[in-house]
Amino acid sequence: MRYLMISKDSGAAPDERLYVEMGKFVEELTAAGVLLATGGLEAGGVRVTSSGEEITVTDGPFAEAKEAVAGFALVEVRSKEEAIELTRRFRKIVGDGESVIQQVFGP
Amino acid sequence: MPVTDAHRTIDAVWKFESARIIAGLTRMVHDVGLAEELAQDALVSALEQWPESGVPDNPGAWLTAVAKRRAIDHIRRSQRLERRHEQLTHELDQPQDPERDDVLRLMFVSCHPVLPTDARVALTLRLLGGLTAEEIARAFLVNEPRIARRIAGAKRTLAEEQVPFELPDESELPGLLSSVLEVIYLIFNEGYSATSGDDLMRPGLCLEALRLGRLLAELAPYEAEVHGLVALMEIQASRSAARTGPTGEPVQLHEQNRGRWDPLLIRRGFTAMLRAREVGGTPGPYVLQAAIAVCHAQARTPEDTDWTQIAALYAALARLLPTPIVQLNRAVALGMAHGPQAGLDLVDSLIDDPALRDYHLLPSVRGDLLARLGRYDEARLEFERAASLARNVAERAFLRRRADELVVTPASDGTPASDGTPVSGVALASGVTLAEAAQDFLGRGDLDPETIRSYGQTLRRLRLTLGDRMPLDSLTADQVARVFATAWGEAAATTWNRHRSAVRSFGAWASLDDLAGGLDRRAETRPRTETISAAQLDVLWSRPGLPLRERTLWRLLHESAAGVTAALSLNVEDLDLEDRRARADGTWVSWRSETARLLPHLVAGRTRGPLFLAERRPGPSRMPAAADLCPQTGRGRLSYARAEYLFKQATKPLDPAGDGYTLRRLKPRD
Repeated sequence: MRYLMISKDSGAAPDERLYVEMGKFVEELTAAGVLLATGGLEAGGVRVTSSGEEITVTDGPFAEAKEAVAGFALVEVRSKEEAIELTRRFRKIVGDGESVIQQVFGP
Repeated sequence: MPVTDAHRTIDAVWKFESARIIAGLTRMVHDVGLAEELAQDALVSALEQWPESGVPDNPGAWLTAVAKRRAIDHIRRSQRLERRHEQLTHELDQPQDPERDDVLRLMFVSCHPVLPTDARVALTLRLLGGLTAEEIARAFLVNEPRIARRIAGAKRTLAEEQVPFELPDESELPGLLSSVLEVIYLIFNEGYSATSGDDLMRPGLCLEALRLGRLLAELAPYEAEVHGLVALMEIQASRSAARTGPTGEPVQLHEQNRGRWDPLLIRRGFTAMLRAREVGGTPGPYVLQAAIAVCHAQARTPEDTDWTQIAALYAALARLLPTPIVQLNRAVALGMAHGPQAGLDLVDSLIDDPALRDYHLLPSVRGDLLARLGRYDEARLEFERAASLARNVAERAFLRRRADELVVTPASDGTPASDGTPVSGVALASGVTLAEAAQDFLGRGDLDPETIRSYGQTLRRLRLTLGDRMPLDSLTADQVARVFATAWGEAAATTWNRHRSAVRSFGAWASLDDLAGGLDRRAETRPRTETISAAQLDVLWSRPGLPLRERTLWRLLHESAAGVTAALSLNVEDLDLEDRRARADGTWVSWRSETARLLPHLVAGRTRGPLFLAERRPGPSRMPAAADLCPQTGRGRLSYARAEYLFKQATKPLDPAGDGYTLRRLKPRD
């Protein structure tokens, strides 16, 4: 089963140590065949909303920056517990903040 | 943390870490079975402590540390404390990157060719995937004790055969690597095209195989075939969602909704293929199969498929793997690239291949080609046959439907129905089918149960091969003869004759008198083991670098005509070198000049204990009985399995079939 893990922006600037450890973590998960895709997301982005017939496109940044998603990882695991375990390891590396994991259905 | 939650967490941690832990322990204790027991001990500690203390910060390191402590304790307890301990301290002081290689070593061990294939599969899922016996059993739809026995047996064999925990050198690598690839692909296929059961797919096994393949690609990145296998699996897996319909029935590749193919996995497959190309070299079987999968994945619609390229790739594959299955796939490609007749010509050359006797895709492919040629009656019978042979419920239903689609209610005047679909002819017109006749024949009441059982086997084979709806009056002696040649051509004469008399009886009953006309009665002789020719033996004896033990054992078996077990049971103290004989198993084993010349070298001053010794000393947990241990060297008696394995390896080049010979064939013809 697949899980998407999204992590919110903690506001803290990443340092050298974080880059090294994250690199190692990503490499390890890729080698284990678990990590299917991962990436960081630009701050802000573009917001597209629809209401009735109307589509509104708004450029960021937006006010509620703390809630913005800063990165994602798509993992293929055997159970929810495995997804949690991976997220736990990820949080150990990145420090304070919040990630959300959700099972992915499809395609 | 509630206990059950903790247990689930521990299970997740275990599945991520167990391969590395077991691999590291195996390097310490040189015994996979023992290493796994020690790792399990660590797991038990975690199960006891974590619910109380919480999951440690680095659970993998925690498990590794506990397991290593257990290993050191174990080694201290075992006899050769001093020496081992020095060795251990030395090993623990070594730089810690061998970890990656350890996991690779573990893969080579658990897929080692000394193990039967199903044991390799079970052991690999167990050691590398961290699955429990119960989980493996569930995936393969067998009961748990059977898997547990299979794993225990595999560990025992590895210990007895003293399979080393090493990376293979260049001469062994191709053989061992292909065994690893085979095991991974077997696991994948068991998941992808479940051979039995109600589901067409068991995605769990596909995932395990993909994980193992991706792992192997990181550990052995310099092997193109590894990337080829990964590419093949990623691309095949990308079609998972599209290959079954709403009721679980299979959807064939050209009918699949390509929008449901998983683009992520396709892209991963392409990436793996690029890595394979970067490594370079002549494409092996997995790279070729992956290239075929890439062709399909690149086609936006079925019509865009480059069948000419695919047929060429299959031709290349057939040169490397000239198996009937590959040929059958090549026939499909030929049928698409150059028309159905081209495909049918190749398929028809495969019909009598015993390997495809029970393979439902042969009649299914043939039916497809026949239908495209407008030969609907033949096509329908082929789909019927395919349905009887398919073991998977969904697939069987699908094939039945394909057969039924070729049967329409005939218009009263017998002309084709208005929609142009073909009218079935024969079976509907002429009444009795093969299946009905067979049932009537067996149910007529004057046969004893034993005869019914025996005749039933024969008729079952006829029905499976020719199809239940085969009209009885179209059954010919020629068809029967072909079924016999494929099914029992290689069988013992008694078997052949038994089935032959069943057909004669059935023919007489059904007034088809010459039904067994194409079947000659066979002379029944006792089968015997073929011996190895003198010329081949000369090649064997003159091979340079043959170890003394092997040379002596083989000469002894050849000169004495003794049984292998008897020869291996010989002890040094039983030998009468003067009279060239020894007492073994209550009989005398006697030899001639060549053995007599070699024996003193092999004995080499020993006075007691097994004559033929294993290469190494047994591990502490596998100590054999005192009688099977050499008092001087501490080594155990050479096992039959190991001796047989070495002989097979050595005689592979001599055997036209490439399998190698068994030791029994050294016995001269009397």
